[in-house]
Amino acid sequence: MVLISTKRTKGVIEQFNHTEVSLSFLSGFKATFARNIRIIWQYKFTLLIGFVNTFTVASLFYYVANLVPNLLISQDNYVVSSIPFIFAGSMLVDISTRILMKSMNSFTSEMRQGTFETLATQPFGLKKYFISEITFEVLYSLIFSIIYYIPVLFIFPIFTGISVNVYSALSFLLIIVFVLLFFFSLSLLAANITILVKRGREISMVLIGVIHLLSGSLFPLSLFPEWLRIIAYFSPMTLAVQAFRLCLFGGGTIGDFHVWLSLIVLIVSSLIILLLFNFTYKKIYNRIRMKGTIHEF
Amino acid sequence: MDVLESFSYTTKKSAFYSRINVIFKSRIKMALSYKSSYFMTIFLNLVTLVMYFFFSKLNPDLTIFGISSTYVEFCFLGLSLQMIIGTTLSTVSASIYNEIISGTWSSLLVNFSFFEYSIGSTLAGVTLSSISVFIALFLAFLFMGSFYVISLQEVLIIIMLFVLILLSHMVVSMVFASFTIFYQKNSGLIPLLYQLSKTFTGVVFPIALLKGFPMFLSRVLPLTYGLEALQSIALNDTSNWRLIFTNSAILIGITLILGVLSYFLVVKSIKNSKLKNKVDWY
Repeated sequence: MVLISTKRTKGVIEQFNHTEVSLSFLSGFKATFARNIRIIWQYKFTLLIGFVNTFTVASLFYYVANLVPNLLISQDNYVVSSIPFIFAGSMLVDISTRILMKSMNSFTSEMRQGTFETLATQPFGLKKYFISEITFEVLYSLIFSIIYYIPVLFIFPIFTGISVNVYSALSFLLIIVFVLLFFFSLSLLAANITILVKRGREISMVLIGVIHLLSGSLFPLSLFPEWLRIIAYFSPMTLAVQAFRLCLFGGGTIGDFHVWLSLIVLIVSSLIILLLFNFTYKKIYNRIRMKGTIHEF
Repeated sequence: MDVLESFSYTTKKSAFYSRINVIFKSRIKMALSYKSSYFMTIFLNLVTLVMYFFFSKLNPDLTIFGISSTYVEFCFLGLSLQMIIGTTLSTVSASIYNEIISGTWSSLLVNFSFFEYSIGSTLAGVTLSSISVFIALFLAFLFMGSFYVISLQEVLIIIMLFVLILLSHMVVSMVFASFTIFYQKNSGLIPLLYQLSKTFTGVVFPIALLKGFPMFLSRVLPLTYGLEALQSIALNDTSNWRLIFTNSAILIGITLILGVLSYFLVVKSIKNSKLKNKVDWY
């Protein structure tokens, strides 16, 4: 941990010790948020870097899509130019996978800098810390993705001329909410595994790579061979990207098969992952305590 | 223990190459102690190659301006180089940061010079990442077909260009390492620079698509020149020698200018650390 001053460090510790008095989830939750905001504030420059990074990633999708500018893609009874098709899919995957990346980076940094051991032994409890930390990362990633993508969409006016009705817009928002829930639960489980195998950054990168490939962010899934298409549908993000594009380009609503199926798959998979987290959490925690590897990285 | 032993070994040897060798071996040992990470990297490289392979199927007749090969050949060359360059860019700066965090930095200062450390650690990183990229490429080509056909003379020029590209990125990492030494923290700019190189240097699309500021940006990044020269040799029927020589000269220029600058900055940063007694402080 970068020690800026003893006074600040004490402040952070006090925030956590405060939970000893109240032990309420809300207090610990607030303390985690306050601590993370302070850390982000110390690295204000990274906020600017975040924008440049988003612009660069968006540029990559844009220019790659421009390799096939006159191609029309037909999917789920709508036809759209390849540029908005690729951009929309890649943007959704980019925003959502950023949650996973940020959560894993956060846990990896804590372990690497040796602060994870302290956090694990706080009266607030490691499980509650996991939930608070990842909730923060979800909100932080979402808010900053919106802030960063607004100017980017002005620079690359990809979605001009697309008319979305009220029902499509609501269905579109619902998909985003459940995609966030899915990535919240996936980040929880991945964080849990990270404390056991210690390779958070690598786990998240592999997961993100596989999600990107299987979601068909750069191409329609019809280009996959049959066996790979079947595998692709095991990733909830594949249906989510398909439904997202349907709402955006084909006027899809919750009444459409792909949209409601995608919502159900996202909810069910999130619940399964949350149950898995709950089931494995104690076992993993006991194991690292018994092996004495909580402070290792 | 292995790492410590190999570090104390340097006190018995004085030759420049054997000291680099010690760093090289210790970095390789350290990296290989995280085998799972290494396998994950190979898998990730393969996933990236497969993704662009399927993208190329969107238009099987896809051609790249000024390049006579297929899109798959074009982007596989760029992606492979980009994966290795990612390691080169981050190695020196990230390694110094890790040494500072883990407290081995002061011992390093006593036993090695900054250049020895930079060359040894970059060589180790590049060796390991090249192996992982070649494995991924081999697997990709095995399932997807298509091979590069190049002559022995072209292989030699490719190796020379590859070394120039590596050196130009190593010196960039050394400049960032000087920041890390001075402020005892990571600038966080290397991942951004990597992302910029990934996007604006013609890795997965030709830079001919760029206009205005993105075009200017691409001309500032060393990978653009290296990749342009490599594509001219490996992908075109006739190589543009004038472009290859010009781009090689630009890469040499970048290496020399940034190399001298990084040396100057690192000497200043280390002096500052010693003066303020911050060598063992984090």
